[in-house]
Amino acid sequence: MSTTRRQFVAGGCAALAGMTAKGDRKITGAFVNDAFVRGHQIRDRAPVPAAQREERIPLVIVGGGIAGLSAAWRLQKRGFSDFVLLEMNDQAGGNARSGENEVSAYPWAAHYVPVPGPKAAYVRELFEELGVLHDGVWNERFLCFSPQERLFLYGKWQEGIEPAVGLTRQDREQFQRLEDSFAKFRASGGFSIPMELGLSHSPRDLDRLSFADWLGQQGVDSPLVVWYMNYCCRDDYGAMAADTSAWAGVHYFASRTPEEKGPLTWPEGNGWITRQLLQRVGSFVRTGQMVRRIERRGNRYVVLTDGARYAVDAVIYAAPTFLAPYLMDDFGPLPKFEYSPWLTANLTIDRPPRGAGTLERAWDNVVVHSPTLGYVDASHQTLRSQVDRTVWTFYWALAEGTPAANRALLLQKDWGYWSEAILHDLERVHNDIRSCVSRIDIMRMGHAMARPVVGSIFDPRRRELATGQGRLVFANSDVSGISIFEEAQFRGVEAAEKALDRLGAAGG
Amino acid sequence: MALVLFISVFLISACGLIYELVAGTLASYLVGDSVFQFSTIIGCYLFSMGIGSALSRYIHRGLVHRFIWIELMIGLIGGFSSALLFLAFAYTQAFAFLMYFIVTVIGVLVGLEIPLLMRIVRGHFDFRDAVAHVLTFDYIGALAASLLFPIILVPRLGLVRSAMLFGIVNAGVALWSTYLFATQLGARRLLRGMSAIVLAILLVGLLEAKRITAAAEDNIYADEIIFARDTRYQHIVLTRFKDDLRLFLNSHLQFSSRDEYRYHESLVHPGLAAIPAPRRVLVLGGGDGLAVREILKYPEIESVTLVDLDPEMTRLFSANSMLTALNQRSFHSPKVHVVNADAFPWIDSDAGSFDFIVVDFPDPTNYALGKLYTTAFYRAAMRHLSAQGLLVVQGTSPMFARDSFWCIETTLRQAGLKTYPYHVYVPSFGEWGFIIASMRDYNLPNSLPAGLRFLSVATLPALFQFPPDMARIPMPANTLNDQVLVRAYDRDWKDISH
Repeated sequence: MSTTRRQFVAGGCAALAGMTAKGDRKITGAFVNDAFVRGHQIRDRAPVPAAQREERIPLVIVGGGIAGLSAAWRLQKRGFSDFVLLEMNDQAGGNARSGENEVSAYPWAAHYVPVPGPKAAYVRELFEELGVLHDGVWNERFLCFSPQERLFLYGKWQEGIEPAVGLTRQDREQFQRLEDSFAKFRASGGFSIPMELGLSHSPRDLDRLSFADWLGQQGVDSPLVVWYMNYCCRDDYGAMAADTSAWAGVHYFASRTPEEKGPLTWPEGNGWITRQLLQRVGSFVRTGQMVRRIERRGNRYVVLTDGARYAVDAVIYAAPTFLAPYLMDDFGPLPKFEYSPWLTANLTIDRPPRGAGTLERAWDNVVVHSPTLGYVDASHQTLRSQVDRTVWTFYWALAEGTPAANRALLLQKDWGYWSEAILHDLERVHNDIRSCVSRIDIMRMGHAMARPVVGSIFDPRRRELATGQGRLVFANSDVSGISIFEEAQFRGVEAAEKALDRLGAAGG
Repeated sequence: MALVLFISVFLISACGLIYELVAGTLASYLVGDSVFQFSTIIGCYLFSMGIGSALSRYIHRGLVHRFIWIELMIGLIGGFSSALLFLAFAYTQAFAFLMYFIVTVIGVLVGLEIPLLMRIVRGHFDFRDAVAHVLTFDYIGALAASLLFPIILVPRLGLVRSAMLFGIVNAGVALWSTYLFATQLGARRLLRGMSAIVLAILLVGLLEAKRITAAAEDNIYADEIIFARDTRYQHIVLTRFKDDLRLFLNSHLQFSSRDEYRYHESLVHPGLAAIPAPRRVLVLGGGDGLAVREILKYPEIESVTLVDLDPEMTRLFSANSMLTALNQRSFHSPKVHVVNADAFPWIDSDAGSFDFIVVDFPDPTNYALGKLYTTAFYRAAMRHLSAQGLLVVQGTSPMFARDSFWCIETTLRQAGLKTYPYHVYVPSFGEWGFIIASMRDYNLPNSLPAGLRFLSVATLPALFQFPPDMARIPMPANTLNDQVLVRAYDRDWKDISH
């Protein structure tokens, strides 16, 4: 049999196409933990099925993220056990959820807690109980190992995320000016964690302009400094500096004193804390229980889920507060409660990328001027000196553009689109990344975290929810306006105290 | 025709200079003393060109034909010169001879090129113009080559591939000349066929050059390579010169058989001989079995557990006869148990208790190894010490890496251990430091095993004295979250290397 000229040419083209195809192997993966299907039932006020059973119980906690679990932890410590915790998802933990595959455990969202300062008393109490803090000394195994962070800048990796190499005199001056300014705010004590403790002597006017405008007022215009400020806002708030209240921008820098080399972290991120909390309060937790209605009956409440009706004396509402108007009548709108859409992905890495520079792989890896936040290595906290396979958690706050448009994009685009975007971003620094990755699982979060927009911190409605006197106690970190572990834990513990107080039932 | 011709002159001139530069650079790189190498190579090369020019008068007929043959020979010899020299350096004793031979041959051939070419073009140009043009392009070619070589060729292609590339240029000029001077040429088919073959050989050489350098450069050790292997964890190389056997891991010298007894006697005996009745010993690292050899000199010891990451390393040192002669078949002792595991997770999970723990890891050259020098690691190791137990740590050089040595010492103290640092002189390493650490007080031993070649009871106390240039300096402790040691070590060695 002879090959025709046409076959020969076609074969050659196919061979060429094969040679130029970027991936020589198939990368698998899927969207995981999609929550919007259930969430949209609430938004669309879908009819609530009739309750199959009725339960009379003094207290219900709505939402099993860190706030809800911390409330449960506190109640239990106070000897109160007449309560249940209702969690919509199949897994408790909220933003502190984690996953695990044959290679490693890995986080799905929050992956660290900065070394808590002296004011974060509840966090310190929890960490003492968990063996993270012992006799005033932090357990070295839970502090992030060296090298902590690196930034890809001017074609090279540098240690640390704040740009430090190749700075112009202007860059250096502006960084210094900001540092001096943040130091003054830090010394004022108005910016604390938990934020509630410093709020009374904190400058309200900072909440009236955006962080970008405030930076402009400080004469900050160097592209690198502006990039770094935006990076910090995207990292903690999922928003650009222009969409962030100056108060929140300043809080990021002025609320913590850098004393200990941290942060505290675990292979599964804050999922480790969730697991520890669940070991203690797991028996109170009911997962897959979506609360559909919360109705006030005189002094009491009725909480309806898809299958049950709970008649309760008090409610700790630890779910995202933006859902409250859909669950309760006459709740009124929450105009200053905005949320940032995020995407996280866990990439199974079968072999480390080659030639990634001379600097060793760090825990947190960021690329300057990338729209994403880079990746965190789940194997970084291993005691092993030899690691072949690992999992990278890739973080992407969709900060540019409006949250609504980005939420639509999250829903419209398929897994192939997002995994391609992630690989494309990683190719900036690891050009052989496609031959290293075997799986990409992606989690889409339309309302990943509270966005501290201008006017949100001192928003009267938010302050009212934070300090309310009734038997419906709000505990989500979005009541602080800042979605971080310490705020969620503080609100949860405080809510437990308030609920016990209002039930007049401390100790049972 | 004129322009094409002068481009040929430009190219062959560039090629000639490139081979000369390749030889000079290679010799400086492999042998050192670049002034000597470049002077002698340039001299030899220019002189050979003179020979070539002188010889050109004996060529009477078939000028174009001979010119093409010369181009092909230069292409082949010049193209492979670099690869040949690399391999000669790695595998033979005849590097210098071969280098000057190759330089001479290329010089003679290049010396023939220009006179022949001038005679070939004589019919086409006025003699005055021919000389002016040919020499002009000859010198421009030299300038181009001298700029191209350091700026683009060496950094981008390396020496082997640069030479191959210019060999291809020579062969290309040969092929091209068969068309350029077609009218003056018979047997064109044969010459074109030969040119094609030479081009093909050089092209394969260019594509395979990576392998040639890999074969050669891995073998750039001072002595003859007797074993080289890439394991999952490291690159193991053994070299031998006369009776000196050397082990390199990832190019770092681990021991020289001539003086390793100094290192291993010092690592083991000051600690182990001070323990009243040692029964169980743990060795972390030390896959060469040499520390175990010393430990087995105590008959009362019942078991030695050795934890080393790399199974190929322990296998090599229990199988190879030259190596088992060195470690006295220590891995074959029924008392010895080899565990191939990552040391930190192993010590974190194992529950055994030991009277003596030897911590003999590679130097903290990176953060992955640095974990094995942290307070967390020493705290984990401490939990395995019996009541009378001692631990000894190899602590790099207190002379060349003074910060690092005292950082390790501080780290042990921070972990809650009492420390007893000492140092010895190991010729192939220089001054080397060790630290005995324990929860109780340590006293020097009153006796040592018989037959030691270096240590004696009388000289022991002196090891614990540090002269001012190695004396303690305050350093922070090395922790998992702040590996100051790796940074200190990097600084220390940068300060004393070029």
